[in-house]
Amino acid sequence: MKTRYQQGSTQSFRNQQPSALRVTALALTLGMLISTHANAQQPGWQPPLTQDGHPDLQGVWANNSSTPLERPEIFGNRAELTDEEFRDLLQQAEEVRASGGDALFGDGFLNAVITGEVRSYDPSTGNYDSSWMVDRNMENRTSLIIDPPNGRLPPMTEEGRARAQARASGRLSPTDTYLGRPLQERCITYGMPYIMAGYNSYYQIVQSNTSVAIIQEMIHDVRVIPIGDKPPLDERVKLWHGDSRGWYEGNTLVVETKNFSGQSLFRGAGENRTFIERYTRVADDVLEYQFTVEDPTTWETPWTAVINYTASEDPIFEYACHEGNYALMGILSGARAAERAGQVPDAPIDAE
Amino acid sequence: MSNYRVTRGLVRFTLCLSISTVSMSMSFAQQEMPQTADGKPDFSGLWQAMGSAHWNIEPSAAKAGPDWQWGALGAIPATLGVVHDGVLPYTPSALAQRQVNQADWLALDPLVKCYMPGIPRANMLPFPFQIVQGTDNVVMAYEFASAMRIVYMDQPDFAGPVPNWMGHSRGHWEGDTLVIRVTDFMPYTWFDHAGNHHSDQLEVIERYTPSGPNMILYEAEIRDPQTYTRPWKMSFPLYRRMEANAQLLEFKCVEFSEELIYGYLNKDAPADRVPPRGMPFTIQE
Repeated sequence: MKTRYQQGSTQSFRNQQPSALRVTALALTLGMLISTHANAQQPGWQPPLTQDGHPDLQGVWANNSSTPLERPEIFGNRAELTDEEFRDLLQQAEEVRASGGDALFGDGFLNAVITGEVRSYDPSTGNYDSSWMVDRNMENRTSLIIDPPNGRLPPMTEEGRARAQARASGRLSPTDTYLGRPLQERCITYGMPYIMAGYNSYYQIVQSNTSVAIIQEMIHDVRVIPIGDKPPLDERVKLWHGDSRGWYEGNTLVVETKNFSGQSLFRGAGENRTFIERYTRVADDVLEYQFTVEDPTTWETPWTAVINYTASEDPIFEYACHEGNYALMGILSGARAAERAGQVPDAPIDAE
Repeated sequence: MSNYRVTRGLVRFTLCLSISTVSMSMSFAQQEMPQTADGKPDFSGLWQAMGSAHWNIEPSAAKAGPDWQWGALGAIPATLGVVHDGVLPYTPSALAQRQVNQADWLALDPLVKCYMPGIPRANMLPFPFQIVQGTDNVVMAYEFASAMRIVYMDQPDFAGPVPNWMGHSRGHWEGDTLVIRVTDFMPYTWFDHAGNHHSDQLEVIERYTPSGPNMILYEAEIRDPQTYTRPWKMSFPLYRRMEANAQLLEFKCVEFSEELIYGYLNKDAPADRVPPRGMPFTIQE
């Protein structure tokens, strides 16, 4: 499917003049399909407290933001769409949704609207169709990254680039061994943080007086964050999800995480990163999730992003990934069968 | 405050008086399970069972392990068991299955493949688990396999939406005891390494009762009419991990079980790598 806007045509965003009639019809159509949330705290609204007097962040939260991590270059330094552009985006979104074509996860959504290329391709597992998609949280933002101000990842250091290159050249064949498959497919971890808005991108927060559990539906991972003065974990113990310590600052839960394993990658950063999260409830149904990644061995400056999680009525389900991983067995079995039939193997997978 | 708590408190009060009034306040501080703001026992913390019942929930003597190279380290210790009232009341066919499981346990035990352990087995393993006790939900995060469960305290009628390896847990308070009803299980989990098993009809009634500040008396009633001729119970203490630096770590054992499960499908697999048995699914080769 091709949408009306061609690649790079900021003019079409600016000059589009939707008729009042069309906007009204659009609003009626979209009302039940796509939720929109302002991220500003409502005046006079006070966040609820737990029985221990902490800000109450509990609930099931969805990361279904349609905003890409990095700002598409056509928006330059603009952090927000104009009202007109946003109306236009909503309509484009509805067309994408109604097309019944490929699923668009993560950054794919806004990019598809901008470029008109409504096709996704998952190099690892093949394609997902739109039945995998939930309704996306449409916001008028142009990137999740709020710092640097251009909404894009800071430049990589020389060391970071060299590391990425070494990693790429050392990549295993995707079908010779299970070790050549991405960590997600092996059901080991979806990473920390897991920020892609896709399917199962749900979190549940439960708070006690002395700890916070952040449940991630993907592979039933739970981060248990001690609140208070607990000394840091010995630096020799490295963890897939790092070692977290938390405290409250006003209405915000702040969590600092270190001790990442060298295999635990996030956008090219590994064991040297410090990851700082700030969870703030800004409305009954919106949890603002801000994170800052610092790793001077990977990027020239730290960077910060904000995702607005939205409240979900549904529970977290048990994602028994490893227990039902017939796909990994099938992939390897298929590769051995292909070899017996004299076929050429696939190229390595670029997946973090 | 329940009558039970009042009575217990009075007994302790009397005991303390008989020793000295100075130690009284200390004893109170040391002997009570911490409480939540709404007066419930606060089980939040890191807990672990001791002993060897995870090898066999029934009494058994020590025996050699499956791999001679592991020597004494790989041998299976003796256990007194944790099951009440004698021999497990299996139906004849379920007993026959247990014997099959036991004879071939290394190949068939789902834990060896890093599958989620189920309940009550997860509470019995030689790994800690952390309780994060909110008002409406209680989370139990297990170090083994990153297994977890959410106990719904506010939704007694919440029916299990899907079958679960860790079951579907709804809790309520009976005095100081946290009672959890766990249903909607997968049929694949076991109770121990000795092949004791259940069906998807399993229902577990768990009772967590505080006993001092650092111990929980844990009891699980097993109801599974497809596998057992009557309900039966097991119980064991859960101890608080007391080390000053105790914390939940990761035991993401998937990566430790992959060679066992997928190794035979690698391109250059050694000849001794064979397809795994006891899988919860099959693929067509």
